[in-house]
Amino acid sequence: MIEVKHVTKKYGKAVAVEDISFSIKEGEIVGLLGPNGAGKSTTMNMLTGFIEQTEGDIIIDGYDMLKKPKKAKKEIGYMPEGVPLYTDLTVREFVQYMAEIKQVDKKTRKEKINQIIEKTGLKEVEKKLIKNLSRGYKQRVSMAGALVGTPKILILDEPTVGLDPKQITEIRSLIKELGKTHTVILSSHILSEVSQICNKVIIINKGKIVAIDTPENLENKVSNNNCVYVTVEDPENKVNNMKDKIKDIKKLELITENEDGTKQYMIEAQGDIDLRKNIFSEFAKENITIFELKKADSTLEDAFMKLIEGGNK
Amino acid sequence: MWAVIKKEIKSYFYSPIGYVFIGLFLLMFSIFFYTDVFNYQSTNFEYIFYSGATILTFITPILTMRTIAEERKTGTEQLILTSPLNITKVVIGKFIAATLIVIITEACTFLYFAILSFFGTPHITTALVTLLGFLLLAMSYISFGILASSLTENQIIAGVITIGFFILTWFLPQFSNIFTNFSLINLFSKFPTGQIDIADTVTFITFTIACLLLTVIFMQRRKSVR
Repeated sequence: MIEVKHVTKKYGKAVAVEDISFSIKEGEIVGLLGPNGAGKSTTMNMLTGFIEQTEGDIIIDGYDMLKKPKKAKKEIGYMPEGVPLYTDLTVREFVQYMAEIKQVDKKTRKEKINQIIEKTGLKEVEKKLIKNLSRGYKQRVSMAGALVGTPKILILDEPTVGLDPKQITEIRSLIKELGKTHTVILSSHILSEVSQICNKVIIINKGKIVAIDTPENLENKVSNNNCVYVTVEDPENKVNNMKDKIKDIKKLELITENEDGTKQYMIEAQGDIDLRKNIFSEFAKENITIFELKKADSTLEDAFMKLIEGGNK
Repeated sequence: MWAVIKKEIKSYFYSPIGYVFIGLFLLMFSIFFYTDVFNYQSTNFEYIFYSGATILTFITPILTMRTIAEERKTGTEQLILTSPLNITKVVIGKFIAATLIVIITEACTFLYFAILSFFGTPHITTALVTLLGFLLLAMSYISFGILASSLTENQIIAGVITIGFFILTWFLPQFSNIFTNFSLINLFSKFPTGQIDIADTVTFITFTIACLLLTVIFMQRRKSVR
């Protein structure tokens, strides 16, 4: 569906995006992830044909963005960063304008507009001027603008920024819903969002692709399978001797001393083994009461930080 | 392109800009109408348009300064430039919309013609030629205004560039005769006498097309440097 081949974008001598390549298949929901200034928006702007790349090719549904811009652009619905809108139009007028400039067939135009207004939940405000709408509604109007013209691909630049938690969940479920019928690319710096919605993540840092994978794989890649957290009541400080009792322990580290007298330790094992069973039985033998015992689970956050930091070093 | 024209016209009248332009023009035009007609006891409709051209020189930026600069500032240019719509069509659409506002204004001036025909017999063909010349002048002004608007995202700067350029070309002939044909307002001067000068007409049209073309080129170029 989308083919990005060795694309570079330079501003004078400054390189915004350097030699990125990836391909996106039909029906995928892809998250573009990266810290601020990583090149997410630049990449999206190039995909939508808003700016031209310095080098490389972008192919949208078989059409080269530079050679056949009209056809390529027809396949894309774009919701730009910061939801730019014509604030002196009403919601319906805006959607209608978008339908017209996207050359939606005149016969079905009205019906399509109605469908989109319905789908994005704008029915009750369709006659209001956009400038009088709340941020959440503006976001939906922008989304409606992107949906007009039944594009195969939706490109959403930070679709949930500036929304309250309720609106965020609403927009997320809308994106999920749309993902069933569209190929979606969204950018975000909220990782939990990406792991919830997307089935593929592209992590960008400093204009380069750091990783492309599924959220699960990325989490697994950096997960510490051999690390457990244990909270114990241990007035005699016997835990420190446990390192000798259980041979597989590589590292034992006190993390916090809670107010109620319990202590939390991080225990790392030698090699790839699960220590929990061992700890449970051995600690009991020593009369150390275990309050909590859990495997350290890594999140996409960890993966992200690890990859980004790795790139910075 | 029709969509752009429609939207621009709507914007002109949803915001006060359209009313301000037409109102301001007619207000000043009325003042000149009063002084010309009553002071000189003339029923000459055409000559008021010399003053009309002066008014136009100063108020054209009201129409044009926001056209592209505002889209750039608010980011809505992303919406049009990522649509299948051609940049040329966008620019021409905006140009036609602004020109239509001038045509509406011109239509309003027929009221003065009606008043004059009540007291005398003003010449209708000369009046129409004058209006044609005025429209050509307005078109060149608007196209330059749009060009200025495409150079910056600040409306005020766009407006100042526009007025500055008009005033410069207005007074250039006073420095040297070489510049006589560079003055847009001078090119207009023959129309109120009832003659359509082909050279002047062609100059107006060429200037208009050149400005619009440059606007398109600048916007196209910004794609690779933005």
